[in-house]
Amino acid sequence: MKHFILFLGFIFLFLFVSHVNKNQSLLTGDQKPVIKVFAYSSFTSKWGPGPQLKTLFEQKCNCIIEFVEGSDSGILLQRLKVEGQKLGADLVVGFDQFDLQKATVEMSWRALDFSKIDADSQIKAAMKNEYFVPYDWGVLSFVARKSSGISMTLSLDDLMQTQFASKIALQDPRTSSVGLQFLMWVLKVKGEEEGFEYIKKMMKQVHSYSPSWSTAYGLFKSEQVDIVLSYVTSPLFHQIEEKNSDFVALEMIEPQPLQVEFAGIPSFCGNCEKAEEFINLMMSPEGQKILMEKNYMLPVLKNVRTGTPFDSVKVPFRLLEIEFPSLTQVESILVKWSEIRREASL
Amino acid sequence: MLVAFFESIKYSGHLVPISFLRIFVGYYYLQNFISKFGGDFLVRPRVAEMISQNLTSSQAPEWLKWVLNTYMVAHWQGFAFTLLALELAVAVSYIIGYVVRPIALIAVMTTLLMIYLSPAATQDFLKVLLATHFAFAWVGAGRCLGIDYYFFKRVRGIWW
Repeated sequence: MKHFILFLGFIFLFLFVSHVNKNQSLLTGDQKPVIKVFAYSSFTSKWGPGPQLKTLFEQKCNCIIEFVEGSDSGILLQRLKVEGQKLGADLVVGFDQFDLQKATVEMSWRALDFSKIDADSQIKAAMKNEYFVPYDWGVLSFVARKSSGISMTLSLDDLMQTQFASKIALQDPRTSSVGLQFLMWVLKVKGEEEGFEYIKKMMKQVHSYSPSWSTAYGLFKSEQVDIVLSYVTSPLFHQIEEKNSDFVALEMIEPQPLQVEFAGIPSFCGNCEKAEEFINLMMSPEGQKILMEKNYMLPVLKNVRTGTPFDSVKVPFRLLEIEFPSLTQVESILVKWSEIRREASL
Repeated sequence: MLVAFFESIKYSGHLVPISFLRIFVGYYYLQNFISKFGGDFLVRPRVAEMISQNLTSSQAPEWLKWVLNTYMVAHWQGFAFTLLALELAVAVSYIIGYVVRPIALIAVMTTLLMIYLSPAATQDFLKVLLATHFAFAWVGAGRCLGIDYYFFKRVRGIWW
């Protein structure tokens, strides 16, 4: 009995002391403002740019960066709309050009001044809004293995050749922004009517429409397909991380689409100035280098690439203009794509 | 004490599988404790929410419902602290095999309370856990691979 009472007493005392101790350290922590950053999971993960930017920022700002994670930008926006104000989001990172219209319609944002940013000429068009700062960008292309003997220059029509039958990995445009980019690319290049005819034929040509970029890329990596829709910087990843130079981004005859990632500050932000400072860090040469090296995307600032392996990335001369399609436009295109998909699977 | 710890395998070897289960359950409780302590269990009225959500459909006796509604919801901090302390007590006791019998009886009571307070989906698991605690109390699961064996050798009694 004595043992039992002493044991229980010790446990209660231990928990009490630990709890008081935890509260005190929290109180000390409370003196520093907490900046809540909503971001997608690959940004906040340990191999993403988030942790490094956080460490760098916390060293200077006497504040704490707290990441709130969403699996992708669509879910991020949904979560922000439902519980953003309650959670107190100060900054949102990870929208692409397809999300911007939706984000602007569904929420109000703080105006930002980024006129002083010396941006790469190819993405100047992405600076035309006043709420969202572009922080990195990439050019989409098909990626293949050099050893597969595929021609290094292709047109969209070449993808219909029999050698590519069931050997192309694409992403589902309903769930993946890369997949949506491909759909918009085809429609832009070929026009709506011919574009959807092309998509119809493409249904028979693709191996599968994966729900995400990573699943499609997984099919390519496991050699189930010969080419995959990805970024022109993807081969560089294999070169740096795996010391494998067998991968190549194919040059397309048609102008290639751009994907730009944006950050914005919701109008209900609690630490708005600090959030702006965090954006400034992301847009500084130091921050841009971290984003480039961790995200394997191209920096927005000029000259950041110089002297790095990213300098060797061949950015296609002909690029599609960045467009910000409206919500209804995207929805009607997706409805049509879904119909074609349904017919093809019957 | 260390000699007695290993000596217990020789004299109560038939209890080794039970001890394995005891340590496993202890580890499960420790994980639960860590996630609750690290989270907001003690600072937000999670217990009060649990009571108000599940008690109406619960099969708990009326007097218990009254006590929980009247006192525990109002004093949720104390209630949450006690529940968490008991969870830690079960974890430590089961892992090191100390005062396992009385702690297992306390675990039986807290698990029974959790059955009344939990949604239907988790009740089956809690019922199995309840039977496990009861079995530990019955056999004195700390007598093998546990400190209880050391005391059991010196002071015989129902506590070990």
